[in-house]
Amino acid sequence: MRSFAEKMLAIDRRWIFGLIALATLLPLLYPVGLPIRPSPQVKNVYEYIEGLPEGSVFLLSMDFDPASKPELYPMAVSILRHAFKKNLRMMGMTLWVTGTGMAEKVISDVAQEMGKQRGTDYVFLGFTPGSSAVILNMGQDLLATFPKDHYGMPTSELPVLKGVRSLRDVQYAVSLAAGSPGIETWYVYGKDKYKFELGGGCTAVAAPGIYPLLQTGQINGLIGGLRGAAEYETLLERKGKATSGMDAQSATHFMIILLILACNLFYFVTRRKDTRRR
Amino acid sequence: MEGFLGAWVAVGLTLFIYSFLYKDNPFFKLAEHLYVGVSMGYTIVRIYYDTMVKSLYQPMVSEGKWWLVIAALLGLLMLTRFIPKITWLSRWSFAFVVGFGSGVVIPRIISSYILQQVQGTLLPLASVGEGGFRFGLAQLNTVLILVGVVTVLFYFFFSIEHRGAIRGAARVGIYFLMISFGAGFGYTVMARMSLLIGRIDDLLLYSSSDYGYATIVLSILIILGLLYWERSSRKAVKKVDMP
Repeated sequence: MRSFAEKMLAIDRRWIFGLIALATLLPLLYPVGLPIRPSPQVKNVYEYIEGLPEGSVFLLSMDFDPASKPELYPMAVSILRHAFKKNLRMMGMTLWVTGTGMAEKVISDVAQEMGKQRGTDYVFLGFTPGSSAVILNMGQDLLATFPKDHYGMPTSELPVLKGVRSLRDVQYAVSLAAGSPGIETWYVYGKDKYKFELGGGCTAVAAPGIYPLLQTGQINGLIGGLRGAAEYETLLERKGKATSGMDAQSATHFMIILLILACNLFYFVTRRKDTRRR
Repeated sequence: MEGFLGAWVAVGLTLFIYSFLYKDNPFFKLAEHLYVGVSMGYTIVRIYYDTMVKSLYQPMVSEGKWWLVIAALLGLLMLTRFIPKITWLSRWSFAFVVGFGSGVVIPRIISSYILQQVQGTLLPLASVGEGGFRFGLAQLNTVLILVGVVTVLFYFFFSIEHRGAIRGAARVGIYFLMISFGAGFGYTVMARMSLLIGRIDDLLLYSSSDYGYATIVLSILIILGLLYWERSSRKAVKKVDMP
C-alpha cells in the first residue's frame, strides 16, 4: 500500500493535466444538462434591469480584456440582450484599453442580432484614458468626457443620449470587470459620489474581493464568474456559452476534489507508516 | 476569409501555449514573445490614438483648447527623469500627480472603504419589534461578520503578547482567515477552469470543416514538431556528452 501511495504522490503531473483535459472535454462533447439555480445576487441584477421602465439610461462598462473573455463575454452578451429586449437606452464603454476591440464587437454583434440602431438605441463610447478620472469627469459632464463616440460621431447629436448630461442621469450601471479599474472604481468614484444604482459582474478570481461591497449594499448585485453568467442565461431563458460550459465546470471541480482527497489520503498513509517505523 | 484565418491563428497560438504543459519548448516561447509584442503594440497604438490624438491634438487644433499645452508640458516633464542634468524638472509633474491624486482619492476611499464598510459591519445583532424579540439567519450573519472582523483584528494586533483571551480570539481569527483563503482558492480554481473551458470550447468549434479542421491539423503538426524538437535536442545532448 505504501509503495502505491508513494508512487501516486510522485506521479508525473502531466497525468493530472490529462485527467483535467478529459474532464473538460467530455462534458463539452456530451452535455448532461445539470440544473442551474440562480443565486440571489445574480437575481438582483436581473430583476433591477427587468424593473427599469422603457427608455431608461443603462450604462454597461466592459472593463476586461481578451484574457477574461470566457467568463465575462457571455455575461456581456446576456446583459446586452436583456437591456435591448427591455428597450433601454444603452451606453457601452470600457476603462481597459486592451478591451476596446472586444467590447465594440460584443455590443455591435448583439445590437445587430436584436435589430437595434447605433446612435438611436445604443452608443459605444469606447475608451478614454484616466480610469477613475474618467468616471469623475462623467459625473461632471458626460458629453465633455466623450465628445465623440468610438466611431467619431459627436455625442451631443446622438438621439440615444438626449437629456443625458452626467452620471446622475444614468438609472443603472453595471461594470463587468476583470480587475482594476472595475467595479470598485465605479463604486468609489461613481456611485458613492453621483448616487446611481450599481451592479457588478466579475471573474471568479475577483469575486471574493467584491463580496464585501455586496454585503454592505454598496452594489445591488453581483454576477460572479462563469457560474454567474450561466445563472443569468437561465434567468433570461436563453442558453449560451456559459450554460454549455457548466457541465464541464462541474466535472472539473469534481475531478479536482477527487484529486485533493486522494492526495491527502496518500499523504496520510505514507506519514502514518513513517511514524510507526520511528 | 478573415474568420477562417483568425481561427487558424487562434488555434495555433492556443496549442503553442498549451504545449508548455508537456515542457518548455520553442512553440511556447514563440507564442509567449508574440503575445507580449502584440499586446504592447496594440496598447501603444490605442494610447497614441485615444490620448495623443483624441484627447490632446484634436481638442487643441480643432476646438482651440490651447490650455491643454500645460497638461502636455507636464507630461513631457516626466520624461526628464531620463536626462540626469534636468531630472529635477520631473518633480513638478510628480507634485501635480501626487497632489491631485491624493485630493481625489483620500476622501473617496475614506467614504467607500472605511465609513461604508464599518456601517455594514455594525448592524443590530437582534431586533425587537411588533413580533417581539427576533434572531434569524440575517442576525446570525451579522454576528458572524462581527466576530470575524474583531477576531481577525486581534490576530493582526501585535502591540501586546497573544496570551489568554487574546490568544483565543486570535486563534478564532486564524480560522476565519483560513476559511477566507479557502473560498478565495476555490474561486481561483473556478476561474482557471472557466478559462480552460473557454479555450477548449473554441478548439472544438474550430475543429469543424467550416474552419478547415484547424484544431486537428494544427494539433498533429505541433505534436510532430515537438517530436522532431525532442529528437534534435537529444542528439545535441549526445554530441556534447561524447568525448
